[in-house]
Amino acid sequence: MTLHWSTHQLTEYFTAVSASADEEVAIRVAVERALEALDAEVGAVLLAGDDGVRGLTGLPVTVLAEQLRPAFHGEPVVELPLLGEANGAQAGLGSDIDGELVVARVDDEFSTEERQMLQGMAQVLGLALRNLRILTTERALREERALEARQRLELLEAVRARQALLETLLSIQRAISRREPLQSVLDAVTDGASRLLGQAPIALVLADPAEPASLIVASRAHWPEPAGTANAAREPAAEAIAAEETVCRSGPSGELTLATPVHVSGVVAGSLVAVGLDATDPAAENAGLMSAFGQQISLALTDARTVEAVREAYRDPLTGLPNRKRFLERLDQILEDPRIGTVVVLFIDLDRFKSVNDSLGHNAGDELLAAVSERILACLRTGDMAARLGGDEFAVLLEGVAVEEARAVEEAQAVAERIAVQVAEPFQVAGRPVYIGSSIGIATRADCTAAGDMLGNADVAMYRAKRAGSGQVVVFEPEMHAEQLARLELRADLQNALAAGEFRLDVQPLVRLGTGELEGAEALLRWHHPRRGLVPPDQFIPITEETGLINEIGRWVLRESLSQVAGWRRSLPGLTVSVNVSARQIIDPRFVTDVADALDFAGVPGSALTLELTETVLTTDPARALTNLRLIKERGVRLAVDDFGTGYSSLSYLRQFPVDQVKIDRSFVSGVTTSAQDNALVRAVVDLGRALRLEVVAEGIEDAEQLQALVRMECDLGQGYHLHRPMDPRLFADVIRLPRPDLITISRG
Amino acid sequence: MEKRTEQAARWMGTGYSDSPDAAAAGTAAATQAIAGRSPALLIVYCAVRYDFARLLDAVRAQADAGTVIVGCTTAGHLTPGYGDVASESVVIVAMGGPGLEVRASVARNASASRQEAGAVAAAGVAELTKEHRAGLLLCDGLLGEQDEVVRGAYSVATAMVPLVGGCAGDDMRLTLTHLFFGDRDGVEVLTDAVVGVALGSDAKLGVGIAHGWHKRGEPMIVTRSEKGRLYELDGAPALDVFLERTGIDPAVLENAGAFEAAAFAKPLGLSRRTGEDIRIAHSWDPEDRSLLFLADTPQGALAWVMGAEEGSIADAGAVSCRQAVDALDGADPVGFLAFDCGIRKAVLGPDGVEREIAAIERETGGAPLAGFYSYGEFARTRGARGLHRLTVVTLAIA
Repeated sequence: MTLHWSTHQLTEYFTAVSASADEEVAIRVAVERALEALDAEVGAVLLAGDDGVRGLTGLPVTVLAEQLRPAFHGEPVVELPLLGEANGAQAGLGSDIDGELVVARVDDEFSTEERQMLQGMAQVLGLALRNLRILTTERALREERALEARQRLELLEAVRARQALLETLLSIQRAISRREPLQSVLDAVTDGASRLLGQAPIALVLADPAEPASLIVASRAHWPEPAGTANAAREPAAEAIAAEETVCRSGPSGELTLATPVHVSGVVAGSLVAVGLDATDPAAENAGLMSAFGQQISLALTDARTVEAVREAYRDPLTGLPNRKRFLERLDQILEDPRIGTVVVLFIDLDRFKSVNDSLGHNAGDELLAAVSERILACLRTGDMAARLGGDEFAVLLEGVAVEEARAVEEAQAVAERIAVQVAEPFQVAGRPVYIGSSIGIATRADCTAAGDMLGNADVAMYRAKRAGSGQVVVFEPEMHAEQLARLELRADLQNALAAGEFRLDVQPLVRLGTGELEGAEALLRWHHPRRGLVPPDQFIPITEETGLINEIGRWVLRESLSQVAGWRRSLPGLTVSVNVSARQIIDPRFVTDVADALDFAGVPGSALTLELTETVLTTDPARALTNLRLIKERGVRLAVDDFGTGYSSLSYLRQFPVDQVKIDRSFVSGVTTSAQDNALVRAVVDLGRALRLEVVAEGIEDAEQLQALVRMECDLGQGYHLHRPMDPRLFADVIRLPRPDLITISRG
Repeated sequence: MEKRTEQAARWMGTGYSDSPDAAAAGTAAATQAIAGRSPALLIVYCAVRYDFARLLDAVRAQADAGTVIVGCTTAGHLTPGYGDVASESVVIVAMGGPGLEVRASVARNASASRQEAGAVAAAGVAELTKEHRAGLLLCDGLLGEQDEVVRGAYSVATAMVPLVGGCAGDDMRLTLTHLFFGDRDGVEVLTDAVVGVALGSDAKLGVGIAHGWHKRGEPMIVTRSEKGRLYELDGAPALDVFLERTGIDPAVLENAGAFEAAAFAKPLGLSRRTGEDIRIAHSWDPEDRSLLFLADTPQGALAWVMGAEEGSIADAGAVSCRQAVDALDGADPVGFLAFDCGIRKAVLGPDGVEREIAAIERETGGAPLAGFYSYGEFARTRGARGLHRLTVVTLAIA
């Protein structure tokens, strides 16, 4: 068995193990494949502590950890339960997982090379387990958050159950204010009244608008079925209508009948009737109840008259939710009402919605918005109001929150987190899964008298949330305003920056560490703001992504970078340029053509270009991203994964995407000589790169020791201040002209 | 003519018929194999042309209350002493005696989880009480990824129990294979299934594995492949390298049959610590000049063109048989089960098959042997792998 064979077996092994969905499967696959690659019979993973023996293969599962563990203590010959003497080998799973991959075979001893291969397999398994554990923790955390949110809601429900009357009345009121169908509002009133009066039969009798003398039974709850009995409601109703006040009558067997008048726009228009009431109940209380419900009906009916006219002006036709105007009106109404103490507004902005709209079309975007509105509604309590403000922005008005502000905010956060979790679940749009997220800002009425201000505060908090990453919830604080202002300015200035020629490129040389030869350079976008000076990329790139400007700027960067590399290659053929591209660019339908055009324009082959991606490429529309990347690769363009090691999906990423290069994030490189953990991680990535035939680039090499360490690890390429600082491309021409010995000196520090 | 050996503790008998009538064939073959004894196990191998229900009804009529009945359709039979190997026939194996124990199980819907199917089929192994044990697997021949079945079976059988068996055939039509599982009261005809028979014995059980091919020339490296599709050998299009290294006339590319005939005789061997894994190209893609194989050809593997000396392929059956006998450590065999690759049958041709059977007969010492041409052979004696191609696997029962 040659080393060549082993390396490739390791690649296959890596692919098989890292495809596993959970730890158990990963371990089982890892043991199986190790046995097959090494022609061994018995294998297992021995984990420290109570985890014990996992994935035992080749021996009955009844073999206990205590029977197996002592066999593997570093000796080449092991004594196995049931099987007897065999040749053993073992390898640690790396620094993160305290455990070993052990194998045993009957016939031959394991060669040094086979032990090395086992070591590689164990490390791959360790990495896979580490990733799975991070994923599991992440999932558990999400579930915990969702559970917490659910529990808080349940708690609230319990409190409300004890305040049944208030609840019923409030909910009817909200049903009215939400313009639910009139019949369901009326039914809710009769139902609520019946429930509070011990399931007594309740009827709502209304005068026919066309013929006021004729009385219609508009809604009944627990009313006896036979049709004739409806007349039993009409008589007391007529009496109450005539008297314009609540009337109480005793029946033949002592039971009581109550009827209370119902008004529409101030005029008596009907009556709410309860029959068969227990005479022993306090009559005054029952009369009060009936009167309260009567008022509700009046409210609903008055409201209903204007509903149709109002509906058009206040509804978002796509989602059926209230629109911005309605939301602000309602908020104003509440803010002016001295009886309502606390009110909270959530501002919800969808993450990556624009990408979906751009890549799948507007119909898909509309479908997605409707689905999002349903999920948001499902997270709310009766009486909460959700609105679509426009585009991919939604707002929620929470009224029924605690009076004390801190508690109200807590409740609002629970609702917001619940929404964030729900929106992060995949949507099925246009027949394919779509992953979006949401950023949510929260504002309370503190410091606000106008609805617009309160919504604005929530908006500012939302921006802060968005910058903290998808799925975040942030509560507004006054100092956020200044930030917001600056940001808005930047946003406006960016619109003209490209046309005004404020962008330029710097390049940072990329050096082959083994020889010191110049490999090429990474192009770095710089924005020289006329007043602010150099604006850091992390401040303006996210804005260009939000606004879609990234596509236009990206095209400029590609052309500019390729025209530079074309120039360099005249002096030193083979030089390459690396260009960072964002997820938004890659799923842009024009992207493939843009790259091809830029290559043709510069007259360089695809191999002169390396595109650097981050893992967010995977999140929005993986299928399209993959298609575009494959098309681009057909031109010979190389792909690199940037910031490798910082995201938990990095490994699965390598499997799915046709990647040629990984760039180890500077945060790990900076610890390569000081932190054993960083050192091990960098080494593992270098080994992994070798196993997967990927070039490994170390970013941010800052001193000679780091360089030495990386050279010793046989890391392929490097960049950093110690080698070359980022520079004007014109100066790069001088670097090219440096004689090679000098370059080696430079790279060796 | 009837072949059987009867010993005090264990016995095995075989029966054959090529009668076109299913009931007549079943009755004749079962009667011959059982020969008035009380069988613990009946294995039915048959051509796909038969009416399985009528055939199995006839076999059941000969079974005892406790008899396990299993079997499968095949790509032909190699059963010394019986009829014309080219005819589409029925072969029945009967086994019994107090020194033998049989536990059978079946996994249906195997494609849903091949690994689980392997584990279910091999579950009987755990119930065996006798000292010497083996797991016999019969698997749907068109299931694909049968190495997963072996993984599952191995997880249950463990290192202590060897696995043997084969994948059902359909006379090289490659459309549908069938498995049989049941007893005197009824036998199911299944596809997408794995049937397992756990054999326990007071005496030794021996396994032999051979293919008769040898490495020829310099090794090549599989520089690009994806599962069974081999794109590049030594960095060049696989098809071109393959034709050049094997000396196969490129004219065969004009005709799929001609390509098969040429490529079947020139398999590739993938280097393993303990020999070579045989891979056979069954087709090619003119677009990218890749080769298509029935099993994976992992990237990075060292590969050789395999060749055979005159007769070494035909001798593989005998070699496998001898290994199985040797593994009995001197005990006398009462019978043999053989699993031989259907492609080998095509490569050998009618004359080669006759030579193979004649050579096997010289090794059996008169004990009965029944085998079938399969779409994949199972044998695990060491290591954890157990799926083979172009191979003859033999189980000797002492």
